[in-house]
Amino acid sequence: MTASEVSYNRKIISEDLSNVEFDTSEDVEVIPTFDSMGLRDELLRGIYTYGFEKPSAIQQRSILPIVKGRDVIAQAQSGTGKTATFSISILQSLDTTLRETQVLVLSPTRELATQIQKVILALGDFMNVQCHACIGGTNLGEDIRKLDYGQHVVSGTPGRVFDMIRRRVLRTRSIKMLVLDEADEMLNKGFKEQIYDVYRYLPPATQVVLISATLPHEILEMTSKFMTDPIRILVKRDELTLEGIKQFFVAVEREEWKFDTLCDLYDTLTITQAVIFCNTKRKVDWLTQKMQEANFTVSSMHGDMPQKERDNIMKEFRSGQSRVLITTDVWARGIDVQQVSLVINYDLPNNRELYIHRIGRSGRFGRKGVAINFVKSDDIRILRDIEQYYSTQIDEMPMNVADLI
Amino acid sequence: MNDGSSKKILFNKSTLFSLKAELLRKQEEVNEKRRLPQHKIENFKPPPAREKEKDQDKDTKIAYKKTFKDSLQAVDTEELEACRKAKLALEKKAELYEHLSDGAGNSQLASRFLVDFNTKKQQELEKPVEIPPEQPTQNSANDDDEWTEFTDCLGRTRKCHKSDISLFLKRDAELMRAINKDKPTSSQEEVSKPEEPSVPEKEKPLLVQTTNEYLQSLREKWEEKERELLAKDKDIHYQDLLFDEARIHGVGYYSFSTDETERRKQMEELIKRREETLKAQQEAEQVRKKRDELIAARVAAARARQRARAGLPPEEPKDNQKDFTTCLLEFLTQQKNEADAKAKEKENKLKMEQEKERQKLREAYVREWDIGKDGVDGKAKKFREMTQEEYVEQQREKRINEFAPTQASTSGNAVFDDKGNMVGNKDPPATKTWADVRPRVKTPPPPEIGDVSEITKGLYFSSASNKEERPVKYRNFVRAQEPTPIIDELEDANPVPEETRTDSVGVEVPPPPTFEYYGPTIKQTKFDKPFESDIREAYSQGAKSLETKSSGRQLPKHYDFTFD
Repeated sequence: MTASEVSYNRKIISEDLSNVEFDTSEDVEVIPTFDSMGLRDELLRGIYTYGFEKPSAIQQRSILPIVKGRDVIAQAQSGTGKTATFSISILQSLDTTLRETQVLVLSPTRELATQIQKVILALGDFMNVQCHACIGGTNLGEDIRKLDYGQHVVSGTPGRVFDMIRRRVLRTRSIKMLVLDEADEMLNKGFKEQIYDVYRYLPPATQVVLISATLPHEILEMTSKFMTDPIRILVKRDELTLEGIKQFFVAVEREEWKFDTLCDLYDTLTITQAVIFCNTKRKVDWLTQKMQEANFTVSSMHGDMPQKERDNIMKEFRSGQSRVLITTDVWARGIDVQQVSLVINYDLPNNRELYIHRIGRSGRFGRKGVAINFVKSDDIRILRDIEQYYSTQIDEMPMNVADLI
Repeated sequence: MNDGSSKKILFNKSTLFSLKAELLRKQEEVNEKRRLPQHKIENFKPPPAREKEKDQDKDTKIAYKKTFKDSLQAVDTEELEACRKAKLALEKKAELYEHLSDGAGNSQLASRFLVDFNTKKQQELEKPVEIPPEQPTQNSANDDDEWTEFTDCLGRTRKCHKSDISLFLKRDAELMRAINKDKPTSSQEEVSKPEEPSVPEKEKPLLVQTTNEYLQSLREKWEEKERELLAKDKDIHYQDLLFDEARIHGVGYYSFSTDETERRKQMEELIKRREETLKAQQEAEQVRKKRDELIAARVAAARARQRARAGLPPEEPKDNQKDFTTCLLEFLTQQKNEADAKAKEKENKLKMEQEKERQKLREAYVREWDIGKDGVDGKAKKFREMTQEEYVEQQREKRINEFAPTQASTSGNAVFDDKGNMVGNKDPPATKTWADVRPRVKTPPPPEIGDVSEITKGLYFSSASNKEERPVKYRNFVRAQEPTPIIDELEDANPVPEETRTDSVGVEVPPPPTFEYYGPTIKQTKFDKPFESDIREAYSQGAKSLETKSSGRQLPKHYDFTFD
C-alpha cells in the first residue's frame, strides 16, 4: 500500500468535522402552545400548575421531536426551560403502567440530579410518575431499595448510576431514552468514559437527548458515535447571553481588595439572593471564614463537604433561609433558584462556557439578573475576550447597581 | 484541685538548660509563623502528606473524583478540619500560656495546672510547659473496651477509663467555662499586639455554618421528613421533596398532602370538581345558545310583523340572502383553500417519503458505541445489492421532475385504443368550477356576447371543463396541471361560464391572424369575468324595478325598504 493510499484511508476513518459548521436542523417545527402539542391531559395540568403558561422557544421546538423518538441535540440560553423541555418529553413518552426504568437522565452534579427529579415529579404530579435520584454520597442500601420499588425515571450522577447498573439493581432492559443534561460537561474528558460505561449497558440504538446552554464544536463533532441522525436545535454564540442579565465588572488592583469590595456590596447581595463563585474549594472555605469573622451571614458549599451538609445548605438556600452562598463551580450549572438575582465572580471562571453557566444562575425564566465580575488588572484581558466571544457587553459597575436587581 | 506550693518537680540543671533552649527554639518558630498573616489564603494549606496516598487510592478506584477539575488539589474534609482544629487548639493553648504567665495567673485557671506560674514569675523563669491534668497515663492496654476516647474543648482527643469519663467531661466543661470567663483579659493582650491575627473565638469546626435556633429547628424538621421518606416504601411525590422551598408555582397550583390516602382523596376531589366545572361550562354554553336562538327568533318575528304591516311579502330564509360578492369571495377562498390543501398534501407526501427513506437509513446506521452489543453486528453496514426495480425506482426519485417523460404516458387515467393510441381520459378530476357554485337565478341566460372561443387561446388553457370539451388525440399530451392558487386569481385563468362556451364540433380552424388575435387581449378578457353577465342581469332587473316603481305608486312614500 502506498503512502497516499494509507492517508486516504485514514481520512475516511476519522472524518474531519472541524471545519463543518453545525446548524439548527431545517425541518424543525415550531409549536406555539402546550395545548397544541398533543400532550396527555394530566401532563398538561402538571405543566400549568408548575407555572408554565406559554412554551419557551426551546420548548416550542424540541418537545415534539423528542416525543417522536428522534435523537435531539438541544441548546438554549440559561434559564429558558431546558430541564422542563426534556422532562415534559420524558413524561409524555412514559408508560406509567410499566413499572420499570424507562428513561435515564444523567447530570454532572448531585444537586442537579436531585433538582431534575423534583421537576419531573412536579410536572408529573397528576400522572403518578415515580422518579428516583440516584446519586453518590447517599446510602447504598436505600438506593437499592428505592430502585427495587420500581422507578419510571432515574435521574442520577454517572458514578452511582453505573454502580447500580453493574449490581443489576438498575435494570436497563426497558430503558428507551438517555438524557444527558449539561451535555458538554458530561462529554468532557472527566465524564466521557463514565458516560461510555453507562451507555454500553443500554439497549442498542437507545434514543439519546443532549441538552445544554453551551455546546462547543468538539462536542457536536463526536455525537455521531452514540446518536443517529440527530435533530439539532442550536443557538449562535452571539445570542447566548440573555438581555435580562446585566453584566458588570469591578476592577481591583490587588487580590486583597476583592474582599473589601465584597463587604461593601453585602447590602446589595441580600436584596434577594446571591451566589458568589470562587475557583477553588479552599478559597471558598477561606472566604466564608473571613466573611463570618467580619460578622456577615453567609453560607458556603463545595464538593468536599459531606453530602448531608450539602443537602442542608441547598435546602436552606432554596427556602430563602440563607441569602448569600459562596461556592465553587459545583453550583455553576443547572441549579435553579428563582430568587437568585445576583451572581458574583470573585474569581473569573476558567473557561468561557463556565462564564455563561455561572451568570445564568440569576435571571431565571425571564427574571432580571445582575452579574458582577471582580477583575484584577491582568484579568481584564480575559473578560474582554469573553465579552467579544459572546458579543455581549460588560460595563464597569455603576453606583446604582442595587436598582438593577 | 492542685496545690501549687505542695508540688515538687525534680530536675537537674542540664535538663533545665536544654528545656530552655528547646523553648527558645519553639518560640522562634512560633513567632516566625505568626509573622505570616494567618488570614492569607496562601497559608491556608492542608497537609500534603496524605495527598499522594489519596491520589493512588483514586487511581485504583473508578474515577468518581475526576468529576471536578480542581479535584487534584482536593483535600479530604476530615483532614482539613482536623488540621484546622489542631491549629486552633495550639493557638488557644499558646494564648492560655501567655495569659497565665503574664501575671493574670491569679485567676481561677492557675490553680488547675501543675506549673506554678506565680512562683515562676517570681523566679523570672521563662514560660512553662504545660502538663495538663487531664492527661491520662498512657495505658498499653488501651485497646481494651474499658478505655474510651473523647475530644476536649481544646480539640484534643483524649483517652480515659470509661468509669472516669463523666468526671473528665465535667472538668472539661469547667475548663471551657473558665477560659471563656477569662476572655476579656486575653483580648487585652490582643490589643497590645495588633499585628497579630485575631484568634477565632468560637469553638466550631470551620464548615459548620452559623445557625440560629430557627434554622436548627428547620433542619431537624427536614431531617425527620427525609427519614420518613426513606422509611416508607411507597410513592414519592413532589410535595414530599419541597422542604419549604420558596418557589412560585402557577395559579392552578395545589399543594397536595404528603399523606398518601389524604392525597388520593384530594386528587379525587380535584378531578370531581374539574368534571363539575366542565359540565357547568357546557350547560352555561347551552343555555346561552338557547337564549340567543330565542332572541333571534323573536327579532325575526318582529321583523316579519313589521314587513307584514308594511305589506311586504315575508322574508326569505337567511341562506338565500347571500350577497353576490360574498358568494364569489367564498368560492374563491374555497378554491384557494383546496389548492393549498392539495399542495400541502403533496408536500407532506413528499416529506413522508423522504422521512421514510431517512428512517430506513437511520435504522441501518450503527453507532460506534453500540458495536459489540447484543444484536449489533460488529462490522457495520453490510452492502446490500439492489434489485433492478429498486434501482430504477431510486433513480426515478432522484430525477428532477422537469426532465421526466410526460406524465400522460404513465398516467393510469388515460384510455388507450387497440393500437396504443390514447383516446382520452377516463376520469378527469372533478374540480368545482365557478359555474357550479354561482348562485342560480331563475332568469333566462344572459345574452350571448359574441364568440368567446378564442379567449381560450390565451396563455393558460388550464380549466378542467375545457379539457373535458376537447378530445385529446396527442400521444404526448401533457395533462394540464391543476390550477394553482396564483393562476386562479388571474382573470384569464378563470373558466369560461358554460353558457358562453361554444360547442365546437369538427376541426378547429385557427382564427385569422388579425390584430384582435395578436394584439392585446385586455378588452376581451374583461368579458371573461364570470360575473359580467350577472351584472348585466342585475342592470336589467334594476331597470325593470325602476319601471314598476315609476309606473305603479302603490307603495307608501314614507316606507323606504332599503333601510329595512
